[in-house]
This record gives sequence, structure tokens and C-alpha cells, in this order.
Amino acid sequence: MNQVESPAGRARLDLLDPMDVARLGGLEFVAEGVVEGFLAGLHRSPRRGFSVEFAEHRMYQPGDDLRYVDWKILGRNDRLYVKQYEEETNLRAAVVLDVSRSMAWTGAPDLRLPKLAYAQRLIAALTLVLQRQRDATGLIAFDDAVRVTLPPRAQLSHWRRLLGTLADLDAGQGTAAEPALRRVIDQLRRRGLVVFVSDLLFDRPLALKALRFLRHRGHQVVVLHVMDPAEVSLQGPAEARFEDPETREAVVLRPKDWAAPYRETVEGVIAAWRLACRRHGIAYHAVLTDTPFGTVLRQVAASRPA
Amino acid sequence: MIGFLHPWLLAGLAAAGIPVLLHLLERQQPPTVVFPAVRYLVAATEAHQRRLRLQNWLLLLLRTLLIALLVLAAAGPTVRGGNVAGHAPSALVLIVDNSASSGAVLNGTPRLAELRDAARRVLARATPDDALWLITADGAPRRGDPAALGALVNRLVPSPRRLDLGRALATAGEVLAPESRPGEIVLATDLQATAVSPADPRVPVLVVRPTEPPPRNVGIASLALGAQPWSLDGGRAVVTLAGDSGPPVPVTVRLGDRPGRQALGTAGGSATVALAGAAGGWWPVTAELDADEFRADDRRVGVVRIAPVARVRWDTAERYVAAAAAVLAANHRLAPGDEITMGRLGPGTSIVEPPADPAELGALNRALERRGVGWTYGTLMTAAGATDSGSALGRQRVLRRYTLEPAGGGRTGVIARAGGSPWIVRGGGVVLLGSRLDPAWTDLPVSAGFMPFMDFLLNRAARGEVALIEAAPGDETLLPDRVTEVRRDGERWSVEGGAGFVPGEPGLYFLLADRDTVGALAANVDPRESRLAPAPDDQVRKLWRARVVGPDDAGGEVFAAAARGDLRGPILWAGLLIGLAEMGLASAWRRGA
Repeated sequence: MNQVESPAGRARLDLLDPMDVARLGGLEFVAEGVVEGFLAGLHRSPRRGFSVEFAEHRMYQPGDDLRYVDWKILGRNDRLYVKQYEEETNLRAAVVLDVSRSMAWTGAPDLRLPKLAYAQRLIAALTLVLQRQRDATGLIAFDDAVRVTLPPRAQLSHWRRLLGTLADLDAGQGTAAEPALRRVIDQLRRRGLVVFVSDLLFDRPLALKALRFLRHRGHQVVVLHVMDPAEVSLQGPAEARFEDPETREAVVLRPKDWAAPYRETVEGVIAAWRLACRRHGIAYHAVLTDTPFGTVLRQVAASRPA
Repeated sequence: MIGFLHPWLLAGLAAAGIPVLLHLLERQQPPTVVFPAVRYLVAATEAHQRRLRLQNWLLLLLRTLLIALLVLAAAGPTVRGGNVAGHAPSALVLIVDNSASSGAVLNGTPRLAELRDAARRVLARATPDDALWLITADGAPRRGDPAALGALVNRLVPSPRRLDLGRALATAGEVLAPESRPGEIVLATDLQATAVSPADPRVPVLVVRPTEPPPRNVGIASLALGAQPWSLDGGRAVVTLAGDSGPPVPVTVRLGDRPGRQALGTAGGSATVALAGAAGGWWPVTAELDADEFRADDRRVGVVRIAPVARVRWDTAERYVAAAAAVLAANHRLAPGDEITMGRLGPGTSIVEPPADPAELGALNRALERRGVGWTYGTLMTAAGATDSGSALGRQRVLRRYTLEPAGGGRTGVIARAGGSPWIVRGGGVVLLGSRLDPAWTDLPVSAGFMPFMDFLLNRAARGEVALIEAAPGDETLLPDRVTEVRRDGERWSVEGGAGFVPGEPGLYFLLADRDTVGALAANVDPRESRLAPAPDDQVRKLWRARVVGPDDAGGEVFAAAARGDLRGPILWAGLLIGLAEMGLASAWRRGA
């Protein structure tokens, strides 16, 4: 695996700012660089992470799930170790990507990637990790309809094809997540991993219903709620007309007056998703587009079914 | 009712619309921002919209109110109301009508006492910041603080003068014109109808008048003593009465200290009293009524000159002079004799006409110079002109005249003028006429005034008497040229002939030229003062746009129009509180946000 040269020297791309990382090269380059750094953080143990059988201990790193801290070692040696698990063989994973128009948005074009670009690079890295574990990885992209369906395969050539497909994806129109999630059922005949990447700007009950169905079929489901930081903290001119790029719904208001109520609302939405997912054994992660890819990968790797 | 010291500043109230305008301008074209999470905004606004809208409207209201209050305060609002303690600094002219009629007594109290009380109530409301003037019957404005003017008011007594209320208001208006402070005039008066005249003082006028009607009154309006001088046989005095009609009242007329003669008269009518003759000289004549509630007009004085009629020699060839002399002789106003030579320069007292032949002028002038007359004839003026109206002669057309030139000390003694130049002069016992008494020279011989003029010329002017003048106290009277001194009951005033003289008190004033008494001035209360009936309130309301109140209400009504309670303080306090409330609420809501 190549070490990536960056202006800072031999840097861990998984921990760098996503915008800086994206400027270094294409999807494949970024994915390999991120995964290299990510795996280096895992003590060069590529076959760790998305497993179910205990394998060994390693030093605790920021972002690790506290549930895997070995408290006995902490009590004996006063050191933080986490337990690692050996994966099951031939895991089949399906990544479901929302490519609706809202995903093409960024609150700061010079500073942050659009949500879709961020998600593309994150998925590239994630699928590379899975490919290196010899797991079969598929891709489903949707907007108001299913746009791309790529069945799971474990070959490296398949990963490159998946990468090409990802790179060709542009933002579409509206959002209809349920059909795409139901398409996963056809792809994953036996228990597998479903990673749902979206800004979740659609009706929660319908999407939850599909996700819950997947969970009932025994799949491990991870929801990555991708958000631009500007969607969390409302900013803008003294008064503005805010328009939804998908529905064209608009509202005129003064951001200064509405910053606090808006933040409360967003936090409420995140809390509601988190609660609903937890209730159904679904791993949920709110991902801001300025979060380093490695941090997100670690969160996903640490995701365990409830 | 709210008024304003600077009402034009109220135009600034438009500025109160600035917050609303800014609000609308901001709302007009807000930029469009593409924002995927609009659904969250909608959810947030649904929950908070009502509260935030309420906050915004409240802040908008407070800011608008704050600007409006600041503009209102700048405009200097004042309010009329009894519960407002003070008033804005004002300029006030207090007119106290202490004219003769204010001495009328009702129920044992002079009218002036009521007016003084009202004036004191007005002054009690004044503050050191007010500019105050007092005008009384003498018409002169006096400025002072409330205490000083109060002392003047306390010392006021009924004046024998008449006060024209319209003129007094005009004077007050002129006093107030330069004042930047709101002005007001308070007129404390018995509101005699005869004293009311139009005026436009351009400031609010408060008329304070007695509420009870005036007492009934009959007074002497005039004392006419007929043609003068009286002969040694005596003459007749005609007394005219004015006032409220009623039963006849006795009138007593007295010549000097002699016992009076009585007659009955009624208001609006006259009584004639024949007075017996007396020795030659100046005699005072007094007409009196029995005392009533208004004493000032119950007595009137006059003066009569008693002397033998002039004994005149005239030239029968002069048609108009001869005709007039014959008529006067037939009426016992003159007698043929050698005392006075009429028409030419004689050996004694003479009335000289210019010669018809200009060639004789030089000899006449030389003779005048030899007699020490002090005047000579000058050049012949043929341009038509007119005499100046005066006490000796009315206005008459003059077609030809000689100029009369002073020689040596002859600068005084002008009896009548034509075109501004001397036309009849007297000096050294000689009267010079500028024109011949002929229609070719002047219209006088064919006018109605010719006979009285001839009587005056022969019986008075030729003898050195120049004037018998009637005047009211306080009125300026022009004295004849020759007068050098005025005397009254031992008082003496040195005067310059032709200057004005103001008799201060009723009575007789004798006019002297050196040691000779050449006339008299009889000063009596203006007959219009006898009519005490007040003008209707509606009339003065319309005439002066005035408010009319009784004496008891004077204190409450003064400063009510122009100088009201100053609301700037309370409004600024309210503005400060609103400003603090706005800051507090905005800050609290911003912190909450």
C-alpha cells in the first residue's frame, strides 16, 4: 500500500480535513490513502473491525466505542485497551447512497465538500476496507427512484467498477428511500451489512419502516446521516428567502432570530433518528462534512448491533 | 387640549415611520438562499413564529413610539388643564382699564377694585420666567416682575383719562411681537361699549370684566358757552347731559364763585342757563350735577372771556368785510368805533389786508417796520393753495397771497397757515392777513365760516387772544405759537409755542404769552366715559377673538391659551422608559436567541 505524500509530509489522510484530502486526487487515490491511514491506526490489522469473533486487544483510540473497552485490563494495568473481533467470512455488504438534489449542497463551497462528494469519498474508503477483508460489496444509488444498482462482489476489479460508478453519480431530483432499501433485500439473500448514506431529508416513518424490515431480515444496518455544518447552525444575511432545492418550498426569515429555534429543531431531528434507530437495533451516526473520513470509518467499524 | 410651542417641528413625526419603512424595505427583496433543510426551518418557525412575530411587532412599536415621543418633545407640547401645576415661559401684557369709568361704584365697591383683584390673580399665576408688562389708562407699557407690577396695580386709582381698548390691545400686540415666548394679553376692564374698537393683536386675548351690570349714570357731556368773548351783559351756557335715561336731574352752572343758576335736564338732552354779566376778564364756568355712583362726569369746567365788544372802524368800500361787520354789529358782536381798524394799518390795533395795488406794498412794509410789528409782506404767490386746518380757521381755498416774512424777532404769533407758510400773523397789536378778504384772493369771504372768522378776528385775535381749547385729560393738545407758559391753580409749565401739551387732570389751564393770558384750555373727562353700558361678550369675542371671563376666573384662565402646562418633561421621561424597555427586551431576546 502506498503512503500518501501530502503538503504536511507523510500524513494520515484519514485524519485530515476532508476538503484537503479531496484536493489531493481522485476517488481511488483518496480511498486508498484514507484506508491506509485508517488501517495504520488499527495496528496494521486489516482483518479487524466489522467482525463478530474476539481476536485480540489493541490500544484505545479516540472514536472507539466504549462498549469494547476491556475493563479488566484497565483495572489491572490502568491502561485502556479495546477488544477486537475476528470477522465472519464472506460478509456481504450493500451501500445505499442518497443522490437526491439536496445531497449536492454545501454551505461553504471553498471550505467544505458537498454532501454527495463527501459521501462518495467516504463510501470509496469504506468499500475498500471491506474489499480488503474479502467482503462482497454492492452499491445502490437513489433519488426519487433507484438510479444505480451494483450487486455485491468481492473482487478488486469490482471495487474499481464500483468506484467508477460512484464517480459518475450526479445529484438527481427528489428523494424516495423506501424503494431503494427494498431493492437491498433482493441483493442480500443472507445476513449482511447495509450502510445507508443520506442527509435523511425525507419522511422518517417510511424510511424507518424499510430499515426496520432489513433489520428484521437479520442484516446489520448502519445509518450515516450526512449533514453540512451550515445545516446544523443557521447562518445567512440579515433576512433571506430560504428555498428547498428539491421541493422549491421556501420560507423568508431572519437567521439571527431563528438560529436558536432552528438548532433546537435539528438537534431534535437527530435525537429522534438516533432514538428510533437504537430502538430497532440500527446503528446511527450523524456525520458532518468537515469530519475526517477516518473518524467516520472508525465509528462505522465500531458499530455493533444492539 | 394640547398645543405646541414649535408646531412646525411636528413635521418630524414622519420620522416615526422610519422603523416601519426600514422593516418594509428589508422585507421587500430578501436574497434567495438555496437551503436543503428548509423542512427544519418550517418546523422551527411553526413552533416559534407567533412568539417571534409578537416580539418583532413589540420592538417595532417601541421604536416607533420612541421616535414619535422625541419629535413630540422637540415640538414643545403644552396642555391645558387645571391639574397641570406650571406653564411654559410666556410673555404676558396685563391691561388694567383704570379709565374714568372704572371709578363707578356698585354696591359700595368701585369697579376698579374688582379689576385690581382680577389683575392680582393674574399676576399670582406668573413665574419669574415670564415676561410681564402692565398697561393702564395712560397707555404706556411698563415691564416688571410680578411683585413690582403687583405694587403698581395696588396703587392704581381711577384715572380721568379715557382708554381706547382697541388701541391698548394694539399697543400690547406691538410689545409682544418681538417675543419668541408664547404671548397672551389679559384685559381687565369694565368693557364700556364706547371704549371698544377693532384690534388684531395676533395673540390670545383674555377679557376679564365684571359680571354685574354697571350702575345707572347721568353725566355732563359738554358745556357750551357760545360765542366769545361774552359782553359785559353776560351770556348763556348750554349743558348737554349723557348717560342712562331717567327723570330730569338738576344742573347747576356757576360763573366763578358766584351763586349757581339751576336748570333741569335729562340724559341725551341739554339745559340752558343764562348767566349774569360780570367784569371783564377770564372767568371759570362750572356745571355740576348732584352726586351719583359715578362722580367723574358730574362736574365740568369751562372758561369764558368777558369783554366789551370790539369797536371797529372798517372801510365800507370793501364789500365783503363791510357786509360781515354790519351783520356782527346788528348782533351786538361789534360796534363802530376806533379801537380796531379793519382792512388797513391804523393808528392803534389794526387788522391789515395786503394792498390791492402792489405799488403800495413798500410803504406798508416800512410802516409795519416802524411800528415794530415783526412781520412784513413778501412776494406775491399766485399758485392756488389752501389754508391748513386749525383752531382759528377751517380749510379754505387760497388763490393769491403774499408771503409773510418775519423781521427781527417776529417769528412767533402765527394764527393760521396756508400751504405750510404763515397766512395770518399777529405782532405788535397788528394782525396781518396774507390775502385780501375778496373772492379773487380766497374763498373765505363766500364761505359759511366767514362770519365766525370775522368775529374771532375782531373780538379775539386782534385783542391778542389766540385760543380757547377743549381737551380730555391725557390727550396731547398743540399749543398756539405765542404761548410760552401754562398755568393751573398755582402750577406752572414752561412751554414752547407750537409744541404739544398734555393736561394730566381735569380743570382749567391758562395759556400765557409772556405776562398776557392769550387763551385757556379746559380739560374735562371724555364724555364717552359717561356711557357705562358694557359691550356684549359676543361682540368682543368676534372683534378680538377673545375669551371673556369674570374676575373670579381670571387666575384660572390666564396662561391657559398660550402658556399651558409643559409636557416636555413627562414625554422625555416616557421616552427614556420606552428606550430602556426596548434595550432591555431586545437584549434579553437576543440572549435567549
